[in-house]
Amino acid sequence: MKEYLPLYRDALFLTMRIGWEGILLAFVIGLVCVLILHFRIFVLKQITSFYIELFRNTPLLVQLFFIYFGLPKLGLKISPALCGMLGLGLLGGAYMAETFRSGLENIPQIQFESAESLGMSRMQTFRYVILPQAVSSSVPGLVANVIFLLKETSVFSTVSLMDLMFTAKDLIGMYGRTVESLTLLVVFYLIMLLPVSILGSFVERRMRHAEFGN
Amino acid sequence: MKNSAKAALLGLTFALTGVLGMTAFADDKVYRTLDEIKEDGTINIGVFSDKSPFGYVDENGDYAGYDVYFGNQLAKDLGVDLNYVSTEAANRVEYLTTGKVDVILANFTVTPERAEQVDFALPYMNVALGVVSPEDAPITSLDQIGSDDQVIVISGTTAETYLVKNNPEIKLQKYDTYAEAKTAFENGSGVAWANDNTEVIAFAAENPGYVVGIPSLGSNDTIAPAVTKGNDTLLSAINDEIVSLGKDNFFHKDYEETLLDTYGKDYEDTLVVEGGQIAEASTEAETEAATEAE
Repeated sequence: MKEYLPLYRDALFLTMRIGWEGILLAFVIGLVCVLILHFRIFVLKQITSFYIELFRNTPLLVQLFFIYFGLPKLGLKISPALCGMLGLGLLGGAYMAETFRSGLENIPQIQFESAESLGMSRMQTFRYVILPQAVSSSVPGLVANVIFLLKETSVFSTVSLMDLMFTAKDLIGMYGRTVESLTLLVVFYLIMLLPVSILGSFVERRMRHAEFGN
Repeated sequence: MKNSAKAALLGLTFALTGVLGMTAFADDKVYRTLDEIKEDGTINIGVFSDKSPFGYVDENGDYAGYDVYFGNQLAKDLGVDLNYVSTEAANRVEYLTTGKVDVILANFTVTPERAEQVDFALPYMNVALGVVSPEDAPITSLDQIGSDDQVIVISGTTAETYLVKNNPEIKLQKYDTYAEAKTAFENGSGVAWANDNTEVIAFAAENPGYVVGIPSLGSNDTIAPAVTKGNDTLLSAINDEIVSLGKDNFFHKDYEETLLDTYGKDYEDTLVVEGGQIAEASTEAETEAATEAE
């Protein structure tokens, strides 16, 4: 069992690296989408809505298949790592956009009206009044999304990435030590996710400044 | 303690007791004996659904192939219905050790490591490893593989074990299923694909532009049906079946039905193992042919 530890450690680093790159991309895409939707920019609004619906309603596995196995048939070859990051980013972006949007909609209309009555422009309102409240309100959802995306990395075996799940499966297939491999698998997933969960609760508590009475 | 915490703790205790209690009723053996299978009326056989021409699903949605042809005959002679279960290379051993299938007929190569976990019946096929590569960049020796190149293998196959053990410096690109590995290879994700030589020869024959640069790698092995360790009744039934079918030259007929189009007549005696007897002459011929080809 000791020989397995370095393999699991490598898989953990790979999963975390690609996972966090994907999550970062998801944040960026999510923010851009929600801005487009909030400011109702003409054509981009429809494209964004279509993107969100498409990527929220298809599984990551399907998306990975398309990007990794389908695109090369059209001439576009993508490396497994990039494919994993893209898949997570695109799927996560759709989820993050929805989370940000719900955070935005949580803000009572009176905030917009008060800012307008004070003479603030739309951009000023958004930057100083709306965005801080929206972020604070969406943090629980965002933390949940981050944990969800990190767990979604378990399908990376499709694109030949040696993530934690694939490492466990491969070891079982080659050496047959099922119980040890699966136990180590659970342990390593906990090592990856428990700190995120704890950090997330900490961030949630600190960012709670937009609630009524705070 | 808060009421809700108390309730949760109580519920957890009940659940744990329930689970532990249920294990007291659990069967200590995982497999089904021959009589249990006959009583149930259906035998569960694990096969490949994407490894043509040995185990695949044809255009009518039925399982077909060299392995499946034998599976059909086995079920007929045992007098039970068939339930084919699609397996991946890496979970064949697991399916037997957890009793999910009764027999594995998924082109399963006999190795000493596997024999420790499952029971193998008599062999029905010869196999070695082979490496296929694109025609314009053929790999005829493992030394040609550079440090940046990746070789495609399927997780849980003898090709993977061989390369991991003997050529650890070669970077491997691992896939779960034959379908994914084939597609990735066609997309040019790796410089070569290492698998059973029977499979790569079939691939090169069906797909123009590829050549089997290394037609025989590693030891000459055999492929045999496998059952859960300890399932002696089923094991002897399968062995008796193979021996009696050998008298009718069944596996030669199997080859002619399922493999002739892919390999032609010449390969028949090299590949087929009749009646569980590995013919000494045919293995010699195979090694001679392999040396001549180099």
